[in-house]
Amino acid sequence: MHRRHRRALRLAAATAILATAATACNAAAKNDTSASGKSGSGTSFTLVTPDAVGQNEFLKLAVTGIKEAAKAHDGTQKVYESTDTASQQQNVQAAVEAKPDVIVLVGFEFADLVAQQAKAHPKQRFLMIDACTTKTFANVGCAVFREHEGVYLAGAEAGLLSKSGKVGAVDVLDTPQFRRYSDPFAAGAEQVAAKTQTATRFVGGQSPFDDSARAKEQANSLLAKGTDQLMAAAAAGNYGVFEAAKAKGAFAYGVDVNQCPSAPGTVVDNVIKRTDVAVQKGIDAVLGGKAGTTVSYGLKEGGISLTGLEAGVDSSQCVIARHKDVLEKVKALRDQIVAGKLKVDDPAAS
Amino acid sequence: MFLDSDLLMSALRALTPILLAALGGALCERAGVFNIGLEGMMLLGCFTSVATSWFTGSPWLGVLAAALAAAAYSLILAVGAVTLRGDAVVLGIAMNLLAVGLTSFLLRTVFGVQGTFDDPTLAGLPLVGGFTPLAYLAWAAVAVAALLLSRHVWGLRLRGVGEAPDAAATLGVSPAKYKYGAVLVSGVLCGLAGAQLALGNVTLFSENMTAGRGWIAVVAVMLGRAAPLGVLLAALLFGLAEAAGFRLQGVGLPQQATDAAPYVVTLAALFLSTARRRRRRTPTSGVAA
Repeated sequence: MHRRHRRALRLAAATAILATAATACNAAAKNDTSASGKSGSGTSFTLVTPDAVGQNEFLKLAVTGIKEAAKAHDGTQKVYESTDTASQQQNVQAAVEAKPDVIVLVGFEFADLVAQQAKAHPKQRFLMIDACTTKTFANVGCAVFREHEGVYLAGAEAGLLSKSGKVGAVDVLDTPQFRRYSDPFAAGAEQVAAKTQTATRFVGGQSPFDDSARAKEQANSLLAKGTDQLMAAAAAGNYGVFEAAKAKGAFAYGVDVNQCPSAPGTVVDNVIKRTDVAVQKGIDAVLGGKAGTTVSYGLKEGGISLTGLEAGVDSSQCVIARHKDVLEKVKALRDQIVAGKLKVDDPAAS
Repeated sequence: MFLDSDLLMSALRALTPILLAALGGALCERAGVFNIGLEGMMLLGCFTSVATSWFTGSPWLGVLAAALAAAAYSLILAVGAVTLRGDAVVLGIAMNLLAVGLTSFLLRTVFGVQGTFDDPTLAGLPLVGGFTPLAYLAWAAVAVAALLLSRHVWGLRLRGVGEAPDAAATLGVSPAKYKYGAVLVSGVLCGLAGAQLALGNVTLFSENMTAGRGWIAVVAVMLGRAAPLGVLLAALLFGLAEAAGFRLQGVGLPQQATDAAPYVVTLAALFLSTARRRRRRTPTSGVAA
């Protein structure tokens, strides 16, 4: 028995590693292809999403974008929703076979798939949103975001609102791309209040995007040092950061969509990505013969914004709605960035 | 100041779910069932506690439902490994994989959301002295398990069943009954661990939110030699290493290095404990085990 047991332990140690890797791919294959749109005679667009759209605000905006684009071009649109890696592949294949004028794909998950298909079908035009292929293809247009500009403005709000003079960010991982959510936050705060102390914690761990308990502890370690404004860029961990901030009476800043309703009175503002703007303008660019180029969307193009700077701020449940004076100063900063008078450093710039 | 009360509190919060799950794992280990399905049972506990608390408004019903659901889920292992004599490792892995898919699926069907369910009105567990009542329960469970295993007839029989099932059977002790009991109790404890994580550490459910804590509990069982106090020490070590890792980022160490802290500590502890054991065994060596 003892011997068998020993063997079991060793086997388990090996399988433990395997299993943690395997759990990442959740095999709930559900090929959700919802098609809508009237049969117009104009151009046709297909949107392929990396996940089910559901309540995902980021993808919902992409759907809005493709519908608006179809309307503007008097054309038709289809949305293929993926649920996992396998269905992403199937959907891209199905989209290519249907030969629409432009295939729009959201997310880095599609980079390799698009590279393959773009090579095999040089006449098919593609538009990638929020990512790009490593190699440039003449038939692939890319739309990427300058998140750092929005994060900088959120940092400015934090600097103006901080009472302790300490602001911090809880970020997912320590990579140049994710540092776009932490470094500019510090820079923005220092811009408006030079003496601000800044700090960043990275969630890390075995599943940095899912681990809200870990993100909450990282936030706690910043709050314990007197930080009272927290940039939350921890994916699902954001909710953990909000909980930590709420418990200490501190404030937090969300990303991608309006996260204020999940902790009213705690979330000050959000750096939002207007996927709809990127989809619409991207389609125009690709149709206008500008495939093969990467266009970046920031404050100037309306691709990046703050909830506080958009219409509907008063009903957003965001704390910033009560601080019109702060918003005025932030608007002035935005105008400077838009006019090119103020440059925000990009941590991901190569 | 590096070591302060905040660090200790953070370590103890990280400790509770791991400790509860590891205690369950230790009982199974003692009964001769190698349980690596802790992660899956815990994740199921997370979802059930959040769903029940949301629909009833009572976090306590959430805790109860989590314990029951995870215990029912543990029957997969009990029936598969004890009655049908299947491989416990394979079953455990299957349970972990199934739990990820099942909870993601339920999240979509029950709440209609993907990724995370979070609502400001979701009722979490109250805090007493900075910790949830489940945290105190975890500490009490260590004492109960230690006493049970060393003093009570049930504990002695459980160990007997694990070490020599045939001998136990000849003495009229049913190995199957004790193994079932151990697996079900581990289910209850993992359910509590899940409730602690989803209604205590945070108040929300997100897909795969256990994030490897069940695996750390499995390692804590091995490191603690399946003894309740040993498991407590191992879990404490993890909690402290993790909390200290967060602090190390504050003094400028890169995240990739601080992430490794709990694992480096585990490796060191594993190495030291086996080295000591081997040294102790040396005089009588010569006969292979």
